[in-house]
Amino acid sequence: MTVVRFAPSTSTALAELLLSMADDEFVIGFSDSEWTGIAPILEEDVAMSSIAQDELGHAKALYELLASVHNDGRDADALAYDREPEAYRHARLLDHRRGDWALAIARRFLYDTADAARLASIGDGWPPLGELIAKIRREERYHVMHALAWADRLARAGGEARERFVAALEALAPDAPTVLATPEGEAALLEAGILTRPMSAAFEGWRTEVAGILVPLGITLRLEAPADAAAARTGHSDDFRWLWGEFTSVRRSDPGATW
Amino acid sequence: MTDDGNRMIDEGAPVIPGEPEGFAGGVLEPYEVFRQEKDGDPMRHGGNLLAPDLELALHYAREMYSRRGESVRLWVVRRADIGVLDDLDLLQPPLDRSFKKPGGYVMRDKLAAARGRAGTSKPGARAASHGTSPRPTEPGSER
Amino acid sequence: MTDPLALDPVLPPRERSELRARAWNEDLPHDERYEHFEAHVRGGGKIEPHDWMPDEYRTAVLRFVEMHANSELMGVLPEREWIMRAPTLRRKLALTSKVQDEVGHAQLLYRVAEDLGKPREAMFDDLLAGKTKFHNVFHYPTRTWADIGVIAWLVDAAAIVAQQALRDSSYGPYARTMQKICWEESVHIMHGRDVVVTLANGTTTQREMLQEALDRWWGPLMQMHGPRSDRSKDRDLHWRIKAKTSEELRQEFLTIYVPRILELGLTLPDPELAFDKEAGEWRYADPDWNELRTVVTNHGPKSHERLEFRRLNREATAWVRAAILAEPRAAA
Repeated sequence: MTVVRFAPSTSTALAELLLSMADDEFVIGFSDSEWTGIAPILEEDVAMSSIAQDELGHAKALYELLASVHNDGRDADALAYDREPEAYRHARLLDHRRGDWALAIARRFLYDTADAARLASIGDGWPPLGELIAKIRREERYHVMHALAWADRLARAGGEARERFVAALEALAPDAPTVLATPEGEAALLEAGILTRPMSAAFEGWRTEVAGILVPLGITLRLEAPADAAAARTGHSDDFRWLWGEFTSVRRSDPGATW
Repeated sequence: MTDDGNRMIDEGAPVIPGEPEGFAGGVLEPYEVFRQEKDGDPMRHGGNLLAPDLELALHYAREMYSRRGESVRLWVVRRADIGVLDDLDLLQPPLDRSFKKPGGYVMRDKLAAARGRAGTSKPGARAASHGTSPRPTEPGSER
Repeated sequence: MTDPLALDPVLPPRERSELRARAWNEDLPHDERYEHFEAHVRGGGKIEPHDWMPDEYRTAVLRFVEMHANSELMGVLPEREWIMRAPTLRRKLALTSKVQDEVGHAQLLYRVAEDLGKPREAMFDDLLAGKTKFHNVFHYPTRTWADIGVIAWLVDAAAIVAQQALRDSSYGPYARTMQKICWEESVHIMHGRDVVVTLANGTTTQREMLQEALDRWWGPLMQMHGPRSDRSKDRDLHWRIKAKTSEELRQEFLTIYVPRILELGLTLPDPELAFDKEAGEWRYADPDWNELRTVVTNHGPKSHERLEFRRLNREATAWVRAAILAEPRAAA
């Protein structure tokens, strides 16, 4: 069991950060796992499913860390599943339904690059998190490669593919920066070395990177600095409520049972 | 998951007569995948996949042939770039080639005759009786 | 993995490969090539895609592999519906991974079939048009989480009994593919059995759910390998495309799995099911072969819906394939 020795305000901020990251990975993992069995090419199907499984693996590891911070008997599954929809703290970018392949790629592209900027902002202030992030970054590297390969192909294909891809990017652009919304208690996280830079700096770096990729493809995207976490990670959509209804249905059918 | 070793490239896209060639404008092309199971092993043919280009072929090879971590190295090559020796008869030497193989040298009787002439005995037997380990055997030395 | 050539002692490999080389000789009359081919295959030899083979053999292998590939592809759908509902993180990961493997197996098998000369798109066309078939068990609905356990454990077990017997198929690429597939399938059975045993240890609701699922799946499971057939008249057996008759496979399945089901305190919905020690085989009520025929001709409870789902999905993703397809190469 990991012992956390932080001031209460830092512990609370750490728990919020872990919850938001875990929920992000959990929800995008669910959305992308929906492609298993129905992706455009059999080979691609297997690739997309692996990425979804990676994200769910990250979510599981992050919930386990969160369980050690709470230390109240709830395990990773209880934290992941046994909440009302309002209590989830994933970014609004992930509130959109699965959509078509263009939306899936646009979301992956925006999320993977933003997530990379976030992961690069996490330090060793709490070693268990620092160690986990080092492992997660090894897998996320491949996700970014995959997202870029597809973004490039769809943008260059012209015609319907490009139109769909650009439309998907534009539909997601208002919500994309929410991944990098300033977390609650950021000052405490910076002081403890859990964060090494403010999320606003991560956001600026990400916006520059995205432009560096999309502008050569002839795509300009407006990415506005996000509202704070309270607004960026609450008030979820009906699409998410549907998803929540699905992923909790078996558990709710026999509460307290072991599965 | 090993190949039979006889034939590294095992497919050549034979086409049933009357089958349409290509369809819907473009093609997904076959790529052959070679994998090394652990450090030091030979690269073995693992199978193949379809991809639109080499970059995605590499992504897909990673998925199709190592998503459980069962490979430590992968090679991917477009099938069309592989040459195939398609006359199998060229691989079946019709005349004696035994001089190229250890088994082609049979000298048991000749060695026995030489020992008889020199008045010596078989070295392996003596070594064993002295309780020392026998010398390593040369391939085909006592046939 | 054993060298597949080492598995059959009938003829030494050298002699077999000479028979194969002789079958390649275009100067020989067809009948004589055919005889060399027959001797090679009957003697345990392998056929590779480049090899000369009679059209009847090519067609037989293609038909067999294509149906297998179709089954993997359609088999994705009943379980896929529950990926979103898996009740724990680990179950979610295991089920996603299992369904992903089925897609991967479809890919491997379609590749084998494609290299026999039929393009993937043509196989999808025929599947959706009802010209080719897929296994009976994938025409049924999945109603509860217990179905996920029963499918992953028992449907996969029945399938693996058949697939293990295909690892030495005379068609080399198929045999090698089955070696890879069997290795991956063994994980699915563990996952399925774990789900089932957990439910068996669970609440009354969970146990009832499990028994109900087993009752529903037993009929299709008993039909899955097909009616008894005459070994001597089966050309797939003659050419060693496959190795065992349907009854041999069913007996093997019953021998391994009936005790494992009963030890959990579950019951099987067949009062005649018993092992006949004297005859050395299982007795069971005659499976409903009428139901099997109805179901595999796409008149099962979910046949139409699943094929329609595939058709719509294929249409909805066509633009992606069109966008990334390589330009056809003249020399390829």
